[in-house]
Amino acid sequence: MHYPWWYVPYLTAPMLIAVISVLHVLVSHYAVGGGLFLAVEVRHAYRTGDRAYLDYLHGHAGFFILLTVVFGAITGVGIWWTIGLTSPLATEVLIRTFVFGWATEWVFFVVEIAAAFIFYYYWGRLPEKTHTTMGWIYAAAAWISLVLITGITAFMLNSGGWATQPGEQTFWAAFFNPQFLPQTVARTGGALLLSSLYVYLHASLTAKDARLRNMIAARSARPALLGAVLITVGGIAWYCFLPPSATATLQSAAVLNVLVALIFALTIVVFFLIYLGPYRNPGWLSPGFAGSLCLFGIAAFSTGEFIRESIRKPFIVHNVVLANQIAPHEVMKLRQNGFLQSGIWTRAFVAERCPTAVVDNQIDASKLAPRDRLALGETLFLYHCNDCHAGTLGYSAAGPLLKGRPRDQVRAMVERLDDNYFMPPWSGTPEEARIISDYLMTINPARPAGPRHFMKTEGSAEEDTE
Amino acid sequence: MIDPRMLVDQAQAAPLPAPVWFIELFKVLGFTLHAVPMNLWYAGLLIALWLRLRGGKGDSHHLPEQRDGCCAQTRIASFFARQFGDRLLRQMPVIIAVGVNLGIVPLLFIQLAYSKFFYPATILMAWFWFGIIMLLIPAYYGVYTYVWGLRNGGRMAKWRVAVGWCAAIFFIAIGFTFANGLSLVEHVSRWPSLWLGHNVAGATLGTALNVGDPTLWPRWLLMFGFALGTTAVWAVFDAQWFARDAVGDDYRRWAWSFARKLYTVSMLWTAAAGSWYVFGTWADDLRRTMLDWPLLPLTVATAIAPGACWVLVLIGGSLQARRLGTAVLAIGQLGVLGINAVSRQVVQNLDQRPYLDVTTQAVDVQWGPLLMFLLTFVIGLAVVVWMIAQVRKYNT
Repeated sequence: MHYPWWYVPYLTAPMLIAVISVLHVLVSHYAVGGGLFLAVEVRHAYRTGDRAYLDYLHGHAGFFILLTVVFGAITGVGIWWTIGLTSPLATEVLIRTFVFGWATEWVFFVVEIAAAFIFYYYWGRLPEKTHTTMGWIYAAAAWISLVLITGITAFMLNSGGWATQPGEQTFWAAFFNPQFLPQTVARTGGALLLSSLYVYLHASLTAKDARLRNMIAARSARPALLGAVLITVGGIAWYCFLPPSATATLQSAAVLNVLVALIFALTIVVFFLIYLGPYRNPGWLSPGFAGSLCLFGIAAFSTGEFIRESIRKPFIVHNVVLANQIAPHEVMKLRQNGFLQSGIWTRAFVAERCPTAVVDNQIDASKLAPRDRLALGETLFLYHCNDCHAGTLGYSAAGPLLKGRPRDQVRAMVERLDDNYFMPPWSGTPEEARIISDYLMTINPARPAGPRHFMKTEGSAEEDTE
Repeated sequence: MIDPRMLVDQAQAAPLPAPVWFIELFKVLGFTLHAVPMNLWYAGLLIALWLRLRGGKGDSHHLPEQRDGCCAQTRIASFFARQFGDRLLRQMPVIIAVGVNLGIVPLLFIQLAYSKFFYPATILMAWFWFGIIMLLIPAYYGVYTYVWGLRNGGRMAKWRVAVGWCAAIFFIAIGFTFANGLSLVEHVSRWPSLWLGHNVAGATLGTALNVGDPTLWPRWLLMFGFALGTTAVWAVFDAQWFARDAVGDDYRRWAWSFARKLYTVSMLWTAAAGSWYVFGTWADDLRRTMLDWPLLPLTVATAIAPGACWVLVLIGGSLQARRLGTAVLAIGQLGVLGINAVSRQVVQNLDQRPYLDVTTQAVDVQWGPLLMFLLTFVIGLAVVVWMIAQVRKYNT
């Protein structure tokens, strides 16, 4: 309502963030864990004088640069790009709260880029110790970047007392939120585990020498297993420090139940495959085995990110900004003054579309032509609901969700949206609830009869649509 | 038509964590530093590809046999042109990484103080703005693909050449999208018509482009003019500072001659685009303010800066200046970009002031995090300098 809403048909605009951010985390965790892998392994290869391993690591560093510096870095910027377009209020609040956290992270990003390029492009042209130091500088800078970004993303899930306790609205209170430590531990583990999976895949495809491949398999198994343990410990702490709304959502939404079960299953599968494969039987590392392992890991990671995004509802920033770009403290004002007339862009739209319907800065519904009434209903839907719901078809589309509900039920549901604790409260006047209900009825398909087909009594007017 | 003032939110989501001058300083400084590598991929990539194309099919490591006559001279000039193209292309992956990295700074600070302008403007053209990322990834990989082709002693597969040209076109398209977005950030008066022309029930479709804004085209061309100048300066700076033993004095002489020609084109180009921008598109009020005291010196300095740098190029070329001379020239070009960035900021503030004066926003300075950032900045810079020093120490 403070900013124009971007209508993305079928998908909904915020789903673009989901797509970009999942792609990004799959590379950014490797950017952290892979840096550590290269620093540790280059040191080992220099110490043992293993030229074949050094050659392999040189090739891996090229792959690493190509993936992390290009795709990882650009998708990282892409997340920024997209959140500004789809969640401008949340982005504004986050930037005003954390700008110096981001700026500090940028400094580490600069160090990362410089260290990564020197490490790769000056391979063999620096003394061993200096070359290894470059690797360690990269690894340290990348991990600190992870810590800094985690402080911000963790705040989005649980802001602690930041929004509710007077005097707590400081950078430090926001950064050291209840989710900070659990997520830092889990993400560090994720970086170790995921990078090992990438190493396995890369080694299985490029290392032709069996001795070398077996050594890589064995040496990367320990950080992978340590990563799995850290993910588990961090994951348990993550669950313990969830805000109540997130815990409730996680427990009650069927799809999330399935996804949680899936993530456990995938983690266990990955853990045992690493233990049985690279750790106990390094010779198993074939492209098929490594590819499967990598796919399982990527599936587990993507599932985890999806769950993390889903359970934030009804907030996009816990207790600070609701999923539909409204600050919680604005809700009562909007109910009083009207959603359409309080929003910057909705008010302008009303003024353009039906100026005569505005009386004393309030919408007089009796002066709305039927077409305008439906248009304003759609405006209310797009600005109030389209963050999470497509219209007739698409992501969590409202039409199919309402299927067959009568008008009075739809209106009652609108007015009491937050009876579902994962939905933001209705933020308009009762009249606006009627207007949006009228629009919703136009995208509300008839209810399939189902068992009612057999429950019809003689003379019943019940419509059988099947 | 809607009064555009209706569309600018006056409410603050939270106080600014630093004074506006500090934010503007980092925004302008960040943009200036970003402009250097950005200029090199904007115009430099095109020029490098063209020079390679013009330079024939030979490799860039073996100088053609020197014979008397103008044909031989042309062949040698083509060889050097190709050599510069190769050098710039090989540097391009690092240049892009540095440029993207430095671009984060102005992006961060524009969102901080100018959120009320930046978000609506970019949301109105959301698909195109989002498209920047979708173009940047293939453009970046396209550059890598071309550069890998250089490993084969100069022989380049046709598909790699095509990919390289596509990357250059993508970067031009990205520049055009940026010019659209930033002109829209500045010109709120353009919002209502673009919004009403591209909306469904008041929600924007994100398909608007600010092509009807008269300032868009000269702005875009102006930046391309600066990019030509930066590429010219890079040619001599690279020859003196980075090429070292890889090139001889003949190449360095060629670089000066090339820089002189290219910078002349750049200066004429910026003069034409700048005049069009100032005298053809600025509103009377804005022109009066910018051409009156106290902003007159800034406007004049911005206008003559490319000319002053051109004089430096001429002097440097006639003296065949070495490292110190090219360093002075590079600082001069940085000054051209810097003073342009300052003027752009001033013009932006003047254009936006009727809608919202950003300097009146509440400020609550976050001293601790601010010090953390400044301290990290100094340490980070020291680490980067140390790393570069190590490279120089062991690679002289």
